[in-house]
Amino acid sequence: MRKIRKFAPALTIAAPFVILMSIFLIWPTLTTIGKAFIHEDEFSLFNMARAMSGTYRDSFITTAQLSLITSLIGGGIGLLMAILLRSLPVESKSRTLADSWSAVASQLGGLPLAFAFIALLGTQGILTKVLGAFGIDLVELGFSLTGLAGWALVYLYFQIPLMFLIMTPAVSALRASWFESATSMGANAWQFWRSVGIPILLPTIVTGFVLLFVNSFSAYATAYALSTGAGQLIPLQIRFILQGNVITGEDELGFAIVTWALLLLALSLVAVTLLQRRVSRWTEQ
Amino acid sequence: MISVGKLARTGFWILLIGYFLLPMLAMARFAFQTIPTFLLTTENVFQGWGFGSLTVAFQDAGVIKSTILSLQLCATTIALTFFVLVPLTTYVEVSAPKLKPWLTGATVATWLVPPVALVVGVAATFRQVIPSFLTSPFTLTFFYSLWMLPFTYRAIDGQLRLIGAKNLFEAAQSVGCGPITFFFKVILPNLKSSLYISASLIFAAVLGEFTFASLLLKQTMPVYLWSFQSSQARAGFALALLVMVATALILGFAVARMRRRGLNFSATGI
Amino acid sequence: MTDVQFRNITKHYGTEVALSNFSLNINSGELVSILGPSGCGKTTALRILAGFIQPTEGNLVVGGHGILDLPAAKRGYGMVFQSYSLFPNMTTSENIEFPLKLRKVDAVTRAKRVNELLDLINMAEHARKFPHQLSGGQQQRVALARAVALEPPILLLDEPLSALDATVRDQLRDEIRSLQKRLGITTVFVTHDQQEAMAISDRVAVMRSGQVEQLGSPRDLYQNPKNSFVAGFVGISNQIKSTKIGDAWKVLGSSVSGPAEFNTGIAFIRPEDIKITPSPNGIAVIEEISFLGSFVRVFMSVDGARVIADLQISDAENLATGQQVELTIRDANPLIESMGNK
Repeated sequence: MRKIRKFAPALTIAAPFVILMSIFLIWPTLTTIGKAFIHEDEFSLFNMARAMSGTYRDSFITTAQLSLITSLIGGGIGLLMAILLRSLPVESKSRTLADSWSAVASQLGGLPLAFAFIALLGTQGILTKVLGAFGIDLVELGFSLTGLAGWALVYLYFQIPLMFLIMTPAVSALRASWFESATSMGANAWQFWRSVGIPILLPTIVTGFVLLFVNSFSAYATAYALSTGAGQLIPLQIRFILQGNVITGEDELGFAIVTWALLLLALSLVAVTLLQRRVSRWTEQ
Repeated sequence: MISVGKLARTGFWILLIGYFLLPMLAMARFAFQTIPTFLLTTENVFQGWGFGSLTVAFQDAGVIKSTILSLQLCATTIALTFFVLVPLTTYVEVSAPKLKPWLTGATVATWLVPPVALVVGVAATFRQVIPSFLTSPFTLTFFYSLWMLPFTYRAIDGQLRLIGAKNLFEAAQSVGCGPITFFFKVILPNLKSSLYISASLIFAAVLGEFTFASLLLKQTMPVYLWSFQSSQARAGFALALLVMVATALILGFAVARMRRRGLNFSATGI
Repeated sequence: MTDVQFRNITKHYGTEVALSNFSLNINSGELVSILGPSGCGKTTALRILAGFIQPTEGNLVVGGHGILDLPAAKRGYGMVFQSYSLFPNMTTSENIEFPLKLRKVDAVTRAKRVNELLDLINMAEHARKFPHQLSGGQQQRVALARAVALEPPILLLDEPLSALDATVRDQLRDEIRSLQKRLGITTVFVTHDQQEAMAISDRVAVMRSGQVEQLGSPRDLYQNPKNSFVAGFVGISNQIKSTKIGDAWKVLGSSVSGPAEFNTGIAFIRPEDIKITPSPNGIAVIEEISFLGSFVRVFMSVDGARVIADLQISDAENLATGQQVELTIRDANPLIESMGNK
């Protein structure tokens, strides 16, 4: 009895949080995963297998391709930005601007972003028209905002700032003394980055790629706004099943797809955690 | 003498800035110029500009109703988040450091389940058990609060550490100050920056949130916007642009303010 | 022959002046310390020599050539920083090997040289360890080896011992000095710790506010400080009010020679230059006696002012607190500054 009284204040304070998480996160998630493995009232891998076959498998692949492209390209550009801006003093206005911009832009997505690109490169887009005036017909070239290239172009809009955001602290943690030591030995910038800078940044870079990949995989609103209804991307596939789950068995499929996606996310989280441990070992010395 | 390196760098920045600026400009052009794209020529490029589309948007009953709902959701989410998070984070930082990894891990766990996946979970549970619970649009509050947890937790915890909350507590105890007084009179006044940025973040996120609302069939502003723009494209785009600019400004100022106070805001939430 | 000449170097940062007409000549093979409080410009001077900062005015001549136009990467001086010198992603041998790799030295010669250097610093058994697995002192040793790997003409050390524990500091300090002497490298050592500077330098330049206050051998600086700043910064000094009577200055009862231009001033007397004799009419009263291992420090009060004397243990045997004592000054020509000076 005394023990409960001792922990009473802690429990009261933690209660809202625990309740919130349990009811609105843990319960739905565990139920989903559980139901994914149940088919016709018994444990079965049927749904999980089905979720990885046919059109669903194609969706996984397409989504993975999109995520891979945007994380590699977005990651590369974001990294470059972080390195180039590193030399600016932390207090300068440009740095503050870059930080604010990246915080905002990485959260941007969904409808407004899709609208903006439609206004720019859609069939009635202004850039489409301008390019047309120069003789470049985008439709002929196979470019469309509802295709992989189009999606990638839009996704990069928030992927690049996200990578910048992830890399900036790591790039800032690169000690000036490392760079100066290398310089005093006669190394030029390229040699420094190749032998010292990039290797040190590597765990964070990989973390960035993983986070970007996951971010792209989960993106719903942007995909929704840019699609023509067919569920080529996993988030849309899920919605498709969700909205039309009148047919029994379809909702089980939805659970399975989600479970696969959660598995992917969990693996990436593990990878990120391990990588982060590596980073702190090096920079704390 | 301009080196190749300098040239490449300048080119890089120009392309990058262009990439980020052009879509927004295109959106603004579409929203505020009455001449449709296919009729545009170099002669009439500067004609037909006006904010008429915005007026149309503001006069639409659906826009007004959904915007009010969204703003209300901002308020409820902010309130719930502060209620759930601030006392707990303070307590863990000050009195129960051993629990810190658990709390941090728990907030990261919410990142593990993206909105799309969570909604499926909702269908698997709530819809089966208590379908009536989901009728009120304010149920979104819980999901929004959870969704923003990694970011808001990071901000608040970061500032608690920065102000040395632990030492402050020990000092307060030594002069006989009780924990509740300590929380309201010492901690809260010093958390202004992180609370401000948490609120700004939630505000920006909720105003733009589409997934939860759309899948749970609630008419928040973004959801309404989607159907609105199919009939009133120009007005829809104008409104979307306005919301984007507003949230960008609010968030931008909040981030700049945090940097000035030495707080490092992590928008990745990790 | 690598001598270094700083000629009237000035460095402005906006309105802030980091160095003002800073001049310093360092002879080939010499170890010169630049000593001073933080903000005095010592690190700025070193970084100008390294090539990381360009002076606003002045000239820098090394081995007879002006080097201001030479970029840092081309200067080829070895450098050791206060902390985080080593590349964390490389092992000890890889770190030491790095400059050799940059110079395209072939693998066989590289390996041989790395082993030589590892033996030189006694770190052969730690060759495969990463910096985070080494202690602070070990890291700095490796940094030192790496800095001299290419046999540079000049070695630059920016407060290399400041981040280390006291015992490690003393040991490493001596190792640096013996290495420097063995290799005969012209070395510039920046520090705020006067004990360090005194222990290992051929000469010391004491700096304040961007200028050299005094340049000389450690003994010189200690025994003949030019002004109160140097006297106070290098070792400890008693500051005793004195008056001139006739031609001689009276300090605590002893007559010493001093400047003729003024009549009252402050004399700077080292604690070891004060001799104590018990005497019922003595001007000083012993307040406290501290046993400091190799000597005894006696705290006394003279007319309300505190005076400190350091004595050999044998000389302090008859002393007790509360005793009245007579003082004799052993320095015949101490530094005396007029009262107006600060």
